[in-house]
Amino acid sequence: MTDIPSCVLVVDDEVQIRRFLRTGFELDGFTVREAETGAEALRSATLKPSDLVILDLGLPDMDGADVLERLRAWSTVPLIVLSVRANEAEKVRLLELGADDYVVKPFGMAELLARAHTALRRQLRAARREPVVKFGPLAIDFAARAVFISEQRVTLTPKEYRLLQILAQHPGNVVTHQHLLREVWGNEHIDDTHYLRIFVRKLRRKIEADPTQPRILLTELGVGYRLVMADPPAAAAPAAPQAAAAPAAPAASVADGSR
Amino acid sequence: MQSNIHAKTMRRQLRDIAVALLYVVATTAVALLLRHYIGILRGAVLYLVPVMIAGYQFGVIPALVAAVAGVVLSGYVYFAQLYSFQVASPQEALNLVLFMVVAVFVSHLANKAKRHTEIARQREREMSDLYAFSRRLAAAPSATEIFIAIQSHLANLVQRKVVLLGAADTAGTDGVPERVRAEAARIEQDEGSERTIDDGNGNNWLIRRVSPKTPDFGSVAVDLGNVAGEAQADMRQRIDDALADAAATLERLDVARALTEAKMRSETELLREALIGSVSHELRTPLASILGAATILSNAPALARDAKLHALTVLVRDEAERLNNDIQNLLDATTISSQQVRPKLQWIEPVDIVNAAVEHRRRRLAGHPVTLDLDSNLPIVRADPTQVEQALVQILDNAAKYSTDGAPIRVAARPNGQTVVLSVHDCGAGLSGEEKRQVGGRFFRGPRHAATTSGSGLGLWIANAFISANGGKVEVESDGIDRGTTVSIHLPMPPENMRGEAAPLETVIDD
Repeated sequence: MTDIPSCVLVVDDEVQIRRFLRTGFELDGFTVREAETGAEALRSATLKPSDLVILDLGLPDMDGADVLERLRAWSTVPLIVLSVRANEAEKVRLLELGADDYVVKPFGMAELLARAHTALRRQLRAARREPVVKFGPLAIDFAARAVFISEQRVTLTPKEYRLLQILAQHPGNVVTHQHLLREVWGNEHIDDTHYLRIFVRKLRRKIEADPTQPRILLTELGVGYRLVMADPPAAAAPAAPQAAAAPAAPAASVADGSR
Repeated sequence: MQSNIHAKTMRRQLRDIAVALLYVVATTAVALLLRHYIGILRGAVLYLVPVMIAGYQFGVIPALVAAVAGVVLSGYVYFAQLYSFQVASPQEALNLVLFMVVAVFVSHLANKAKRHTEIARQREREMSDLYAFSRRLAAAPSATEIFIAIQSHLANLVQRKVVLLGAADTAGTDGVPERVRAEAARIEQDEGSERTIDDGNGNNWLIRRVSPKTPDFGSVAVDLGNVAGEAQADMRQRIDDALADAAATLERLDVARALTEAKMRSETELLREALIGSVSHELRTPLASILGAATILSNAPALARDAKLHALTVLVRDEAERLNNDIQNLLDATTISSQQVRPKLQWIEPVDIVNAAVEHRRRRLAGHPVTLDLDSNLPIVRADPTQVEQALVQILDNAAKYSTDGAPIRVAARPNGQTVVLSVHDCGAGLSGEEKRQVGGRFFRGPRHAATTSGSGLGLWIANAFISANGGKVEVESDGIDRGTTVSIHLPMPPENMRGEAAPLETVIDD
């Protein structure tokens, strides 16, 4: 990444949560600013734009979703939502409102940092407008509309390609079922999740080494799908302490097994 | 007693006849005066007046007596020789008799009409009383109010003493004869619901329960006085009517009380839910700080150098995660026991569920080699992804909990007839025949493990509840103690044309 430390704005009314987030982010090389209320967060984001926003939904003065909506009216800053509710419908709503990702409390710091780096890279890529995007062994050449697995050309149907393309436009981030269905099949098929299931299965057969153990096209149960940027640790990997994701070797999507 | 009443009726009858005769005498006096001063010679018609008055007032017998007396006296005054009882011609005598028969007949009709009017008036009064009583009952806020209303209404109805006994003790029970009290007590002991007794002073008492269905509302004793026969039956009928109305109201109040209790219960339920909701929030917020801080510490390079300190931070992290899972289980159990499990059905890839559950428990399963045996051609199924995953997580937890470190765990997703089966096989403690029967019950914990393994006994119960809500079932198999356990989730397959491999659907959705 860059040499200038990224600045993260942490919005949470719980002082203990802000404290551990500050420590966690600072140890990872971020500079941290804090906001206690939604109004304060909006003011802070306007006065001195940050590179990333961590937004808690349970704010005392306004609904977190409102903050997100107002912020998105003028800013594309990467934003991760913190929620205590493990409610799929709520997650979908926030993603549709423009959140890059969500993390459900309680969560591990490594998980949040991984998501944070992914969200930051999304911003970086968008700025560079790279013609070819890589996800581990998968490479997508947007200009040529070509897909490669380990340098081997893969043939996709138009719908399969469209699905992959939309996922690749949000590298590392969750894309909701509704978004995918709307973009690929149109508004009238927004509830036809079985279309998605069947096409994701077909896609996985073409791009994954083992379609039953996907490493590239991952499922977010009840919410959507995400294309991961690099090889995630194998599922059966021992729970050895992982060093905080260093900027040089970004680890993506390290789930901590907690909800 | 019977003769007593008879004599009384006789006396009244004699008095009526005497009065009727007096009317006739008075008429004769008037007739004589008219004849003397005005010279009316054919004034027999005048005798119609006393006959009709007597008939109207007293009935047929006094009217007849008046008629006979009228014939005799009119004969004396108008017919034949003046002032003698001889009648000159049989024709005149016949006229006279005919005339009197008409008089008696007319008077009888008049008397009947009068009685009808009286009865109608009486009924009207009773109806309005009963109506007032009903209204009073309907407005009564409590049983006590109803008992007071019953007492005053019955007292008004029979014009005698009325007392309520037992559950409905009201004021004014002093003058009740001992015999009546004893009988009321007996009736409340469930020996018949109604009887009539003599109190020894020539008065009849009707004693019955307020409600024939139950002794709970007490009994009522009514002094019927000395009426008997038809009159008494009539009175009892009216008492029955009034009490039926009252008993219905009392029962309705009982229903109302039950409703009030039900309302209070549902409020308790709401309170419990609110409490659990707030507890889960209040617990999870500090837990989020603890777990977050612990994950930072367990990854901190400064602590990683000291194995003991590092182990401690890992312990904090793992225990915080366990606490979080326990809170989730508690919330799930509450949802299940309040029957609020509403699956949000979606089409799901069975393999995704297995991967998510295993990923969820990656750390918990770290001590066990996990083999995944997943069929890539399984049909997609319709279920709530979170609930099925949660169920599988519970089963994985149990597999890890009841097998020794290093023992392998095999997770499979396979088709089986018309179901998709997600199964978890461990090589652990297994189940005895008795344990197999009980396992899955709420709070059931195998007695062999109670002392050595922690847990709430909710896991499999939660799994079962979630899977049942999704139209599936959970099966537990074991070859016996220490021979491992296989727990499987069976989910129904969708209809043929919805399955992942079906050609028609693909042609529709692809181009």
